[in-house]
Amino acid sequence: MEYSDKYAKREKRKSFSLETIRFHIQPFYFLLPAMVLLGIFLFLPALLTIYYAFTDYYLLTPDQREFVGFSNFTQLFSDPVFMKSLQNISIFVVCIIIVQVGAALGLALLINNNKKSNIFLKVAFFSPVVMSLVVISVLWLYLLNPSDGLINSMLQGIGIDAQPFLTSPNQAIFAIVFVSAWQGAGYQMLIFLAGLQNISREVYEAAKIDGATKWKSFLHITLPLLRPTTTLIVFTTLIAAFKLIIQPMIMTQGGPLNSTMTPIYYIYQTGFTDRLVGYSSAMTVVFGVLIAVVTFVQRKLAKEEI
Amino acid sequence: MRRVTKGIKNVLLTLLAFLFVFPLIWMISSSLKTEESIYQDLDSIKSLLPSFQLSEWMASYTELFERFDIFNYLFNSILYAGIVTVGSIVINGMAGYAFAKFRFFGKNVLFSLLLALLIVPVETIIITQFTIIHNLGLVNSRLAVVIPMIANAFFIYLFRNFFIAVPDSVIESAKIEGASNWSIFWRIMMPMSKPAIATVGTLSFIASWNDYIWPLMILTDGEKFPLQVAITNINSTEPVFTNQIMAILTISTLPLIIVYIVAQKYLLQGLGTSGTGNK
Repeated sequence: MEYSDKYAKREKRKSFSLETIRFHIQPFYFLLPAMVLLGIFLFLPALLTIYYAFTDYYLLTPDQREFVGFSNFTQLFSDPVFMKSLQNISIFVVCIIIVQVGAALGLALLINNNKKSNIFLKVAFFSPVVMSLVVISVLWLYLLNPSDGLINSMLQGIGIDAQPFLTSPNQAIFAIVFVSAWQGAGYQMLIFLAGLQNISREVYEAAKIDGATKWKSFLHITLPLLRPTTTLIVFTTLIAAFKLIIQPMIMTQGGPLNSTMTPIYYIYQTGFTDRLVGYSSAMTVVFGVLIAVVTFVQRKLAKEEI
Repeated sequence: MRRVTKGIKNVLLTLLAFLFVFPLIWMISSSLKTEESIYQDLDSIKSLLPSFQLSEWMASYTELFERFDIFNYLFNSILYAGIVTVGSIVINGMAGYAFAKFRFFGKNVLFSLLLALLIVPVETIIITQFTIIHNLGLVNSRLAVVIPMIANAFFIYLFRNFFIAVPDSVIESAKIEGASNWSIFWRIMMPMSKPAIATVGTLSFIASWNDYIWPLMILTDGEKFPLQVAITNINSTEPVFTNQIMAILTISTLPLIIVYIVAQKYLLQGLGTSGTGNK
């Protein structure tokens, strides 16, 4: 009796400990595939990029790479193309936020109370969103063709001279701003609309009773209550805009005269086309840190606002 | 006065709607007419209409399919997007389950690391990703197209937030009836998280379908190109015909139109929560 009791206890303890081990290992079965993939294709490359930035890694001779200290970085800040790309992306980011977010907010306000044609208008404004960046870039390359593009023939129809658009160093970046804003505005309009619909009718009615004009209630009710939505949209646009590459790659190849060269496109060209992995990594570190900081600020702000 | 402002508003809205929609209409119409008529029609409203002769509609498509193996590109795009979508749902869902419903050593550290990974701009590190694919000997393989896109820190986070809402009592009672964690995941967690699955599925399908730079870098073999890479390839293969280019652009857009119509209600969810980092 005593013996079997002890036996049962020991058996119980044994199975318990096996259970605990299984209990502790099992979550790792579930985690493992994702962690391995994230480790190999995100975490490791992020760390390696920092390391490569201090070497003269040439894509075809990875074994001969040597530590070169900060020389990639000093070279970087006297590289006119990199500096030009930083200038271009600053212009692009500022313009795209004004044009795209402004258009999205404007459209949302315009169709918010327009019940009759709402669906039709929404579909129209949203239609560019369904096209990929490659598709819109190729499409607008034809539309903006200086000699036989539809846009110039439309402009001439209303008495405006034909424009060079993508072939002009002064206009190319703004043409890309326009195309990108045209593509992205419809999506953000829907988010603004959702934000507008969250504002309750009663607030407006109360303001009306207090004698507020339409303009005043827009200024003092709509705008402040839309602030969380606006912050979210401004920052997501900002972060996406920093990564501009496909449009200039397809539409202008960075030209004319590097007027549409962007940092990510230059990183791609030096690292992949010219095979200078070390140098392109240094650029990635400088520019990647900039984007990471903006993203970090956005996440902090989003936490406070919402 | 009120009527006038309303009239102005309607005219403005119609003009704006036209501005947004005319390139899409021009793209589709131009694919349905002859090369000469695209340029003849430029200065009239006919530029936004397809050919009046139905027999001319399919000419550009037939020629395009004769010159290029479009079915193969379509197959590749569907294959890559399909693998990324299914892989992304399963693998990120599993990780999300582990973070939501298990207690294990190092969980908080791992989770903070995951959140930190959210701020790494993936697009900047493509060159280093390429050197890794190169070292693994996967350059010019179909596997290399999809594998970096499957695990996604944001999707893990999204699944975790959904799974946390599933009450523990449901899991406990399933355990008492002898269900393993694996079958709890498949039979309880996943069926209860259809909105999360739809959001992750839609977003990863679109991301993979539209992916351009990465497949362009790692594929040298034309046979393995997805549609997006094929488009720029066709656009630079002489002779270039505008109507055929518009045909390939239309073909590559159609599946996305279907996805956006079917999944419209999940798309905003994805962006509404993206990067806000709190719940």
